[in-house]
Amino acid sequence: MALGRKKAEEISGDAVGLEAVGLHYDDGPDVLKDVSLSIPQRSFHFLTGPSGAGKTSLLSLMYLAKRPTRGNLKLFGENVTQAKRGRLAAIRRHLGVVFQDFRLLDHMSAFENAALPLRIAGVGEAVVQRNVNELLNWVGLEDCKGAYPAQLSGGQKQRVAIARAVVNRPKLILADEPTGNVDDTIAMRLMQLFVELHKLGASVIIATHNESLVARFPFPRLHLDRGSVSILPPLASSAEFDHDDPRG
Amino acid sequence: MFGIRSDLPLRRDTASRFVVWLVMVLVFMASLAVTVNSYIGVLIDDWNRSVTGTLTVQIPIAAAGDKASAILVNKVLDVLARHPAVAKSEAVPRAKITALLGPWLGNSEAISDLPLPALIDVEMATEGTEAVTAVTASIKAAAPEAVIDDHRVWLNRVMSLAQGFGVVALTIMLLVTGALALTIVFATRASLAEFAQVIDILHVVGAKDGYIAAQFARRALVQGIIGGAAGLALYAPALALVAWLASRVDSEVLPDTALPAAHWLTLAALPLAAGLLAMLTAHITVRRALSAKV
Repeated sequence: MALGRKKAEEISGDAVGLEAVGLHYDDGPDVLKDVSLSIPQRSFHFLTGPSGAGKTSLLSLMYLAKRPTRGNLKLFGENVTQAKRGRLAAIRRHLGVVFQDFRLLDHMSAFENAALPLRIAGVGEAVVQRNVNELLNWVGLEDCKGAYPAQLSGGQKQRVAIARAVVNRPKLILADEPTGNVDDTIAMRLMQLFVELHKLGASVIIATHNESLVARFPFPRLHLDRGSVSILPPLASSAEFDHDDPRG
Repeated sequence: MFGIRSDLPLRRDTASRFVVWLVMVLVFMASLAVTVNSYIGVLIDDWNRSVTGTLTVQIPIAAAGDKASAILVNKVLDVLARHPAVAKSEAVPRAKITALLGPWLGNSEAISDLPLPALIDVEMATEGTEAVTAVTASIKAAAPEAVIDDHRVWLNRVMSLAQGFGVVALTIMLLVTGALALTIVFATRASLAEFAQVIDILHVVGAKDGYIAAQFARRALVQGIIGGAAGLALYAPALALVAWLASRVDSEVLPDTALPAAHWLTLAALPLAAGLLAMLTAHITVRRALSAKV
């Protein structure tokens, strides 16, 4: 993997680094205004802010679907602002993205959707079968692995989308309203999955409107308002989190 | 296809269903061009072989009468017999000349009384224009009124005609190649537009441009081979029909020499060639389209 070459830099570099990043669409107004931000590796952040504040735009910069109009964007210490396309593909394999609208492939079963990143990375089929089955069982989809997205409920699709995002053990997980379509029990279970991956070393950024969810976890908030970002302290204390640990 | 997984919902692809049909038509045309080209090669060889190395000497009727003519013919035969560049020479018997004229003048006894020029068939031992020139000079020295035909003018004109057909066949091949490439370019672009969202997802989960291009290329390869095989299947009865029609034509004009092995091999290779061209075109088209993205 190409990232292997940059291991030394990777360890010291932040998961995400924004230096005076601005973004606008065509001739429109700035969606992001000179945002500077460092998200260390192994961190966990919520991304909050009113609708239309630019949460989705900020995430799409981070998963390399857009390039900043100005400023520099670094992922794992590497400046990706001007990186070549082939390089971006290599970096994307370290990212796991959960879209608000899931974006599952309609012609693939739940299993195939979740297995896609592994298969694209050329992982052997035995490993694919084991890891994907395990993960789908964990998110409670053992009974609909063969079902196609059209046959799944919103909450089931969301869990497939999350499984697809994390199946590759990404270093950075970016999730846009990942618990928007599930009930509280499932939401907590999915959050627990993100927390587990965070403990295993991934950086996690979760964009959400769900104040009560944010209030239950002791993670700092990136608050986006009118194109500017401020870092706010966690709403929950660590002690409360331990008390609220869904496994407890 | 080929047991390789595809991430694109190709069965739903309405944009490129016509590709197989178009490839079929194009390969049919290419096959025709290949056969025309090969057959022209065979014809030219055959004509060349039968005509080069021969001369026809015509001794016009001598004003002094048949006897004078006969003396002149013997004199020329004598010269030819001694010439080192000549392998064989013989006077065409009068009976054969009248037989040749039969279709035009009828077979009546009257023809045998007609004053006819004498003809001498010459087979050259040495090929090439220099030998022909030397022999011509010797004949002219013995009989200045002799008319020598080395069939070159006739052959050259027929050959130019044949080569003209050859150029047309080659042009058809080039046009077919271009049309196939363009077909694939447009079909691939339409598919890219149809699958834009799928491709975005594949990128997000780490697919490289080459991976996506390979999926389109593989599909184009299969379409090219299937369309090509269909075109060839369509061409086989057409070729059989033309061959049958040709077999009814006088064998002096159209020799029934078999088409060379290279012809059949080229035909057999056309579907694969169409597939490979389609594959390469699709790959390049996708790479170029994707490289314009973010």
